[in-house]
Amino acid sequence: MEATRIPAISPVARRLDRRREYALARKQVRESLVSVAGLIGRPVRDQGGRDIGRLMDILVRHGDATYPPVSGLIVKVGPRRSFIDGSQIGTLTQDEIRLSSTKIDLKEFKRRDGESLLDSDVIDHQIVDVDGMRVVRSSDLYLAHLDRAFRVVGVDVSFVSFLRRIFPGSIRRRPTPDRVLDWAAVASLADGEGPVRTAKSRSVLGQMRPADIADLIEDLHGREQEVLIDLLEPAVAADALEEMESQELLGLMRGLTTAKAAKLLVHMEPDESAEVLRDLGEEHRESVLAAMSDENARSLRELAEFDDDQAGGIMTTRMAIVHESQTVAQALALLVDQKEQGATDGVVVVNDSGELLDHVQILELVAAKADAVMSEVIGPPWPTSVLIGTPFAEVITEFTNNRGSSIVVVDEQYRPVGHILADDLVDALVESVERRWPWQSGGGGT
Amino acid sequence: MKQKIKGVMPRKSIRFAAFFAVMGPGIIAGLSDDDPAGITTYSILGAHYGYQMLWVLLISTIALILFQDLGARIGVVTRQGLIGLIRQKYGARSGVMSAISLIIANVGTMTAEFAGIAAGAQLFGVSKFVSVPLAAVLVTGLVLRGSFGRVERVFFLLSAVFLAYIVAGFMSHPDWGKAARGLVVPSMPLTHDSILIATATLGTTLAPWGLTFIQSYAVDKRLTRDDLRLLRADVWAGSLLTGVIGFFVVITCAATLNVQHISIVNASDAAAALKPLAGTLAKDLFAIGLIGAALLAASILPLSTAYAASDLTGRPAALDDRMREAPLFYGTFAAVTLLSAILVLLPGAPLVTILVLTQVLNAVLLLPLLFFMYGIARDRRLMGEFVSSRAILNVYLTVIAAVSICIAAMLWYSFH
Repeated sequence: MEATRIPAISPVARRLDRRREYALARKQVRESLVSVAGLIGRPVRDQGGRDIGRLMDILVRHGDATYPPVSGLIVKVGPRRSFIDGSQIGTLTQDEIRLSSTKIDLKEFKRRDGESLLDSDVIDHQIVDVDGMRVVRSSDLYLAHLDRAFRVVGVDVSFVSFLRRIFPGSIRRRPTPDRVLDWAAVASLADGEGPVRTAKSRSVLGQMRPADIADLIEDLHGREQEVLIDLLEPAVAADALEEMESQELLGLMRGLTTAKAAKLLVHMEPDESAEVLRDLGEEHRESVLAAMSDENARSLRELAEFDDDQAGGIMTTRMAIVHESQTVAQALALLVDQKEQGATDGVVVVNDSGELLDHVQILELVAAKADAVMSEVIGPPWPTSVLIGTPFAEVITEFTNNRGSSIVVVDEQYRPVGHILADDLVDALVESVERRWPWQSGGGGT
Repeated sequence: MKQKIKGVMPRKSIRFAAFFAVMGPGIIAGLSDDDPAGITTYSILGAHYGYQMLWVLLISTIALILFQDLGARIGVVTRQGLIGLIRQKYGARSGVMSAISLIIANVGTMTAEFAGIAAGAQLFGVSKFVSVPLAAVLVTGLVLRGSFGRVERVFFLLSAVFLAYIVAGFMSHPDWGKAARGLVVPSMPLTHDSILIATATLGTTLAPWGLTFIQSYAVDKRLTRDDLRLLRADVWAGSLLTGVIGFFVVITCAATLNVQHISIVNASDAAAALKPLAGTLAKDLFAIGLIGAALLAASILPLSTAYAASDLTGRPAALDDRMREAPLFYGTFAAVTLLSAILVLLPGAPLVTILVLTQVLNAVLLLPLLFFMYGIARDRRLMGEFVSSRAILNVYLTVIAAVSICIAAMLWYSFH
């Protein structure tokens, strides 16, 4: 009998139970968390309970720890702002901070590297939510006692928590952990040496495809774009930048410091970098080049000097060049060596004076005997070649006439200086139709 | 394409082309200050005081240049909107209070824009029940469907309508000598009305929504520090143009209405009164200018509000975002437009009270906003190398002091 009655009431009872459990869990969470915004302005007392002053800000040290520990307090003592070291904190609750001794060591506050002020630098500032891949403003921060220290464990990004802070009294202090992000999953944009990297933010970003990261960068704006790029390894960032729309990329590069821009450009494909440099304008270009190593600057400057509507302006300089006396095995080894740089469509064979003899496809190399000399392998079909100054339109004609996958670009002495792959051509074509108003090509407007 | 241009164009033209790419924030934000409320104020200034008080316009234009320039610079350097920065630097309460006042003031001002459209269309015999919904649909459609580039081009086209005032000015055969003297020699009758109109001129030129708009718009346009020099030119051009349009409205009314001692209460009165004095064309130009001005401001106001709302919640939005990505941004835009259109069309809505209270709220809100901007301008952590020098900070303070006096005078007269 009872067995039949229980199912009849149990859905409701179960729901009530669950709600009670949930409320209890929330309460426990809430009680174990201390709201930083609510704590600001509360009294700081010594061990005996005597008032020392009011809390103005909390200092945390970013180090290897996932959750940064509180390293100090900024306390208003009389009219002065004083610093109390974190080691002197005894208990920390939502209503007050008790220090562990009666002898208090007050010092002048000075900013130190690797530390941020939670109220001044983090609350109400923008942070990157790495899991959700978006930029949010933090409404509050929560502290908890973990591993023998008070640490920042969560960032509250809810609008409710933000609104709570405009009210006076205890409403302001009551934690409302509704939408709290794990501190490990955010990148704080606290000023100073750039964003604070957390372990998780690095690993998530490392697993994304360059094209997806490019989309994300394009979705963000200005400073947040920069922060995201700072979070990435330069090589990963460079891969992602190559996938961006050229106008977006240019806008982004314009906003970066010259040192950062230079670092990224060095890691990008030379032809893509050259295009960016060309569009940056003379003054900016020179300052970016000055921030690179001489060798990098020289080769990029050479490339950037070519016009965008000439063969030299769209070619890639990275290619594998072998002498006719080298063997097939050596040529293949060279290709494997340069695989990282993306020159994989074959080798260019030159003679003693460096003149172009042939462009040998990988397939031909694989089919040949490993100890054969290159001069034996070369033969028809002969490669298509154009001069550096060949106009864009003629390059396209050459390409369509020969139906090859690449064209070798040579200088006046018939020495190979680069090659144009089909995708370089597609990029150049897309760009020539992309512009809507000619004067809007300068960036920003579209 | 671009490289071909670089190949054949002389350096000067390249610089000109670059200016076209940066141009926008200053001109659009500036000209939107010449909205129907502004035109009304300028018309009354001219109709009642002739050329005598043109200097007030000059001072207002200088104040406009200074603070629009600062707003644009803050936007480019910090890449955040003003409301977001206030929240960040001055805390939750300041942020919320500024945003709420701005939103309410903007709804009120938007109502004034729709009233201007209704009045302008009425001059051509079009009912407000046609013109206002049409304008609301046009404005919303433009922003919802257009990309940033397209929206901006429509703004530029609308701005061209202001040329109508310059033509109308010449057609009214003003006394240029008197106009020049009025511009540089400060004098005014010390009466209740003249003080009020002087304050209104300053208040209508330097508006809170314009200040927040230019900053958010510069961020949305993704202008960078490299563009700052050109942006400054844009701000100067826009603010000066705003002053020049105001100047022509004043002299049109001074040369016609003031000479004939015709008293007016709003801009459509001015247009109607122009007909017998300067011909039908002058009247039509004046009315077209009024509608164009209202349309431009009616596009900017909800946009300014939408930027502010999304900025406050910490989820910055942009015109290029899709509706799904930025529901708050587009929701705010639609809500402001809809609410204002309803207020204008609702029979028996206390329009005059709304407009007066809006003006007061705008004036009251202006002062804290100017102080916040001043505080940001001197904050080295935010502005870095672009932090303002001691000298320019003093200039800002002088303007703020002048604005405070005007606002105090206006509040005094509004409630006495």
